[in-house]
Amino acid sequence: MASTAVTRTAAGAAKVVKPVFSRDLDEAKRRVRELYRAWYREVPNAVAMFQLDITTRQGRDKVREMFDKNKHVTDPRVIDMQVIKGKMELQETIHIWKQKTHVMRYFQESKEPRATDFLSKFYKGHDP
Amino acid sequence: MAARVLKQCVRSLARPSLGLFPVNLALRAAVAPAVSVHRPFAFAADSRRMRWLGQSRISSVELLCRQYGDLPPLTLETIKDRVMYVLKLYDKINPEKIQATSHFMKDLGLDSLDQVEIIMAMEDEFGFEIPDAEAEKLMTPEEIVQYIAEKKDVYE
Repeated sequence: MASTAVTRTAAGAAKVVKPVFSRDLDEAKRRVRELYRAWYREVPNAVAMFQLDITTRQGRDKVREMFDKNKHVTDPRVIDMQVIKGKMELQETIHIWKQKTHVMRYFQESKEPRATDFLSKFYKGHDP
Repeated sequence: MAARVLKQCVRSLARPSLGLFPVNLALRAAVAPAVSVHRPFAFAADSRRMRWLGQSRISSVELLCRQYGDLPPLTLETIKDRVMYVLKLYDKINPEKIQATSHFMKDLGLDSLDQVEIIMAMEDEFGFEIPDAEAEKLMTPEEIVQYIAEKKDVYE
């Protein structure tokens, strides 16, 4: 953490930083695609192993949604860190170190959507 | 050519064993469309078998009709048909608009992750791995057909 901060300030306007894994955006995107392939192939196995009440298609749509959330990122190091976290999640899912509840947490079923119009906010007690 | 010779031999030898005959016809029917692909090794093996059988007169129909567990050989047309079939089944592609030269990103408006899904569907269809370094360049069905033909040694 300190070393990357030092390299960042030392480089100044040139912005040459120590890479995490990939040196440029293409390599980072390649890692993202590999991770997506692995997740895509893992979804039907996960649905069978954890006995989830979703279809494979719903699972794959959710995987696509999680990947699309970070679509806008352009920094290769940020992309690499997210790929690393995605790989950790994938490993935990493949080896069944997670349980059904952890996997279903992606679907956020028990969370209520936030109120947007005035009346719902009023009933909840929020100021508009 | 080898298939036709085989067919004649099988018909002459297989008359007593009618149980095997319909199976052989099905085999011949499967092999017949692939006659255009030149297979020197198979032809040499067949001619050798023919000579041996002619000399010993053993009606070993099982030897002639050896059922190897292999897929029918690929041709450029069959590869193209299968690729287009798989693409038409994909739900994000309009089956009327897809053509052999339509670009996935520019013409069909697909994402890079959609393209990954398409390549994975091709992997599942043809049964071999396509590494990501080469997969990211395949942007039209025509390129996919050429890549598969290159990998599977299919030529005309």
